[in-house]
Amino acid sequence: MNQDQKNAMNYVVEQISLKNQLHSKKIIKNLSKFDEAYFNRANDFMKRYATLLQNENKTMDYAIDCYLQMIADVNYESVQFLQTGEYTSKSFDEVNQRVYNNPQVMEYYMHGLLLSQFLWTHHYDILLYFNKIINKNAPHIQNYLEVGGGHGLYISEAIGIIGDSANYDLVDISKSSLDIAKKMINNDKVNYMLTDVFEYFPEHKYDFITMGEVLEHVEDPVSLLKKLHTLLGENGKLYITTPTNAPAIDHIYLFKNADDIRQVIYQAGFNIEDEFCIYSEDMPAEKAEKYKVSMMYAGVLTKK
Amino acid sequence: MERNEILKQVNAIFVDILDNEGLVLNDTTTANDVEDWDSLTHIHLVVAIEKHFGIRFTSQEIQSWNNIGELVDCIASK
Repeated sequence: MNQDQKNAMNYVVEQISLKNQLHSKKIIKNLSKFDEAYFNRANDFMKRYATLLQNENKTMDYAIDCYLQMIADVNYESVQFLQTGEYTSKSFDEVNQRVYNNPQVMEYYMHGLLLSQFLWTHHYDILLYFNKIINKNAPHIQNYLEVGGGHGLYISEAIGIIGDSANYDLVDISKSSLDIAKKMINNDKVNYMLTDVFEYFPEHKYDFITMGEVLEHVEDPVSLLKKLHTLLGENGKLYITTPTNAPAIDHIYLFKNADDIRQVIYQAGFNIEDEFCIYSEDMPAEKAEKYKVSMMYAGVLTKK
Repeated sequence: MERNEILKQVNAIFVDILDNEGLVLNDTTTANDVEDWDSLTHIHLVVAIEKHFGIRFTSQEIQSWNNIGELVDCIASK
């Protein structure tokens, strides 16, 4: 790792420390457990993100402010969640009005989410798990689909492992999300489609479908998984991630634990081939349960 | 409620949530002085303080306190 690379991450962490001491304590603690491989990936991502910002005449300081605004939202939603046991938004229409159709909110939220990819370190463990799953399945993947590809990390990872011979499609309901994905992925090999996945009827079936952190954004996750069931080939694999107990301004469906997620998976007609769970805070499970810490669930699903 | 009384009650909440019997707070105490006071426990402290004093903080307020003195002032202003 050279000095420039070190500086990219260091700068972000330093600025967060200056602006939000409480939040920086968590980030510094989480980052302290990682090795050079992590920082290499994180800095590669930061460089691509810095280019995106530059092209939009924005700075990393702007992105950090967006991130901290998102953290303020998460904190407020967390307080409400701990008091009521529910997410504040109940319907897609509500979230659409509050977030997706609100350009001011979408602007800071998208940048906040991008920066969170390597600051919330459990995301890295999930990415490594995805890497392992793609490596295992790569020889059988000719048609690859990602649904809701926001930061473009997963599909970039898949292309890097599977190679250029496969077909890559990315479907997203949000134009701003798709625009960011295009810039971050920066690869002509990917077919980008701005559409609701429920309105998507391709001519071929997919060997592998990835859908990261989407289920919690819909009112009826079983219907969404059933739709993906129709898009998947008979021997295909569906990779999903979704969090438990994760209050956010655009989260609707509350999974209280991994069993809630498994129930939805089974109801949609899938079996679980493999799974991986990790808490969003680096602490013993008992403490994480006490503090209702969010857990990220990743599963590899096959048709029943 | 007097300011000192608020500080005393806030101190008791911190002791309970952070499970730290010997913790003594004053106006200048910051998160850097208290090991387990981080973004996660902060949320639980906010929830406990709101419940205890029967008040609600805004999104901005939750982020705004630089030390215990500012938190106590915020509670006193409600």
